[in-house]
Amino acid sequence: MSIEAINEQLLRSVGVGVALFSDQDYQLEFSNDVFTSWFSGASEQQPLAILFPELDLSAMQQAFAVDRAYSTELKFRIKRRTLVVAQTFSRTQVGDQVLIVLECQNITRIRELESMIESYSSMVERNAREIQREKEQVEKLLLNIMPRAAYEEYKDFGVVAPQRHQSVSVLVLEFTDFSQQVEALPPATLVSELNELFSAFDKISELLGCERIRTTGDTYRCIAGMQDPEIEHAHAVSKAAVRFVRFLKRRNTSSSIDWQCRVGLGTGSVVGSVVGNQKYVFDVFGQAVDAAMLARAHAGNMEILVQSDSILSYPDDLTTQGTSTTAASNAGLIALRET
Amino acid sequence: MELYEKYGGFGSINKIVMAFYDTLLDSEEIGPYFDDIEMGRLIDHQTKFVANLLGGPASFSNDQLRRAHATLQITAAHFDEMKSVLNDTLLAHGIEPADAESVMASIESRRDVIVAQDVT
Repeated sequence: MSIEAINEQLLRSVGVGVALFSDQDYQLEFSNDVFTSWFSGASEQQPLAILFPELDLSAMQQAFAVDRAYSTELKFRIKRRTLVVAQTFSRTQVGDQVLIVLECQNITRIRELESMIESYSSMVERNAREIQREKEQVEKLLLNIMPRAAYEEYKDFGVVAPQRHQSVSVLVLEFTDFSQQVEALPPATLVSELNELFSAFDKISELLGCERIRTTGDTYRCIAGMQDPEIEHAHAVSKAAVRFVRFLKRRNTSSSIDWQCRVGLGTGSVVGSVVGNQKYVFDVFGQAVDAAMLARAHAGNMEILVQSDSILSYPDDLTTQGTSTTAASNAGLIALRET
Repeated sequence: MELYEKYGGFGSINKIVMAFYDTLLDSEEIGPYFDDIEMGRLIDHQTKFVANLLGGPASFSNDQLRRAHATLQITAAHFDEMKSVLNDTLLAHGIEPADAESVMASIESRRDVIVAQDVT
């Protein structure tokens, strides 16, 4: 067998599609079996432009002008399957004839796999976004029931170790005549009212460096100095108490529903911890809480009471005065109000 | 553990997806359903379909499935053929017969949302 015959045999048997075109008139001179199996309409002398109408001939000629091959991709369907073929056109000199060699590689599988990976990635990314959203939701809920520091500890270690805080201040606000309000108001209105009031208290607390511990129906409890012992926590709860009362008074003038409260403040040590294994509640207990509860119990309508010997100084815009009842006075309490 | 993890996650499952895709396209019975569907869309569909059945990162409600198949007018015979192709593909890729059966049961439970009710 001659070298030419072997070459032709090789060209016919390789797994890639090969076709040769004349450089003069771009007509098909030769094609191997793989090529004709893909492009069944191909016949000898057929011009390149008819065989591949979408081929950008001028781009190919520009590549040839600088001695470069021209590559493109062709997508077509055989029956219901989409075939993707990478085409490379290059020029070669055979004796005194210049030929354009077209090499076609079947890259369908690569494109199919790319589509599959793209589909899979989009599924995974969507899942990741959903997990992130759920994580944020859980974080929001947990931050609702425990301070951030406790939450961070819980996240890292799965538990929150009880911690003693030597000097903090606690504020306990209680709505007076709450039972009557519960009876008088439709449930939806009551919840909406409490939501609005507690949200306002939350904003005031946050602004003044206090942190809400919990609400239990008719009471709102917040604390200062637990996260940041440097803060003047007694000042913080005093200011918050005055603003809570001011907010309620102002709101009462424009709302059809009247809310009265009494407030107790206490300073001292507390233990803070997450309590419960299944249903978590962050709580603080100890001296400061007891003092605030006692003060609240003695307070009259819209009155803020505090142990007279527990707070050494008050913010400049606040002053103390005698309490509204002798019992409170006997318990060593004084009233706090704006100057 | 989901079958998806049991059989090696997407690294292994992708072979099932490709084989299922190839067999469906070549099927004289159900191949015609895919005559006019673009390759990328069809592979996307098959990837999610297999991932969903094996407990991977895709899940479809019956409503979504009903909407996706509503215009295809799928017959009960074609549904059976698809099940048979998938069963063969799963077994050919080393899925244990008991697991393949549970996948078949999962598909079967959705027969009514995939097969068109007014086609015989």
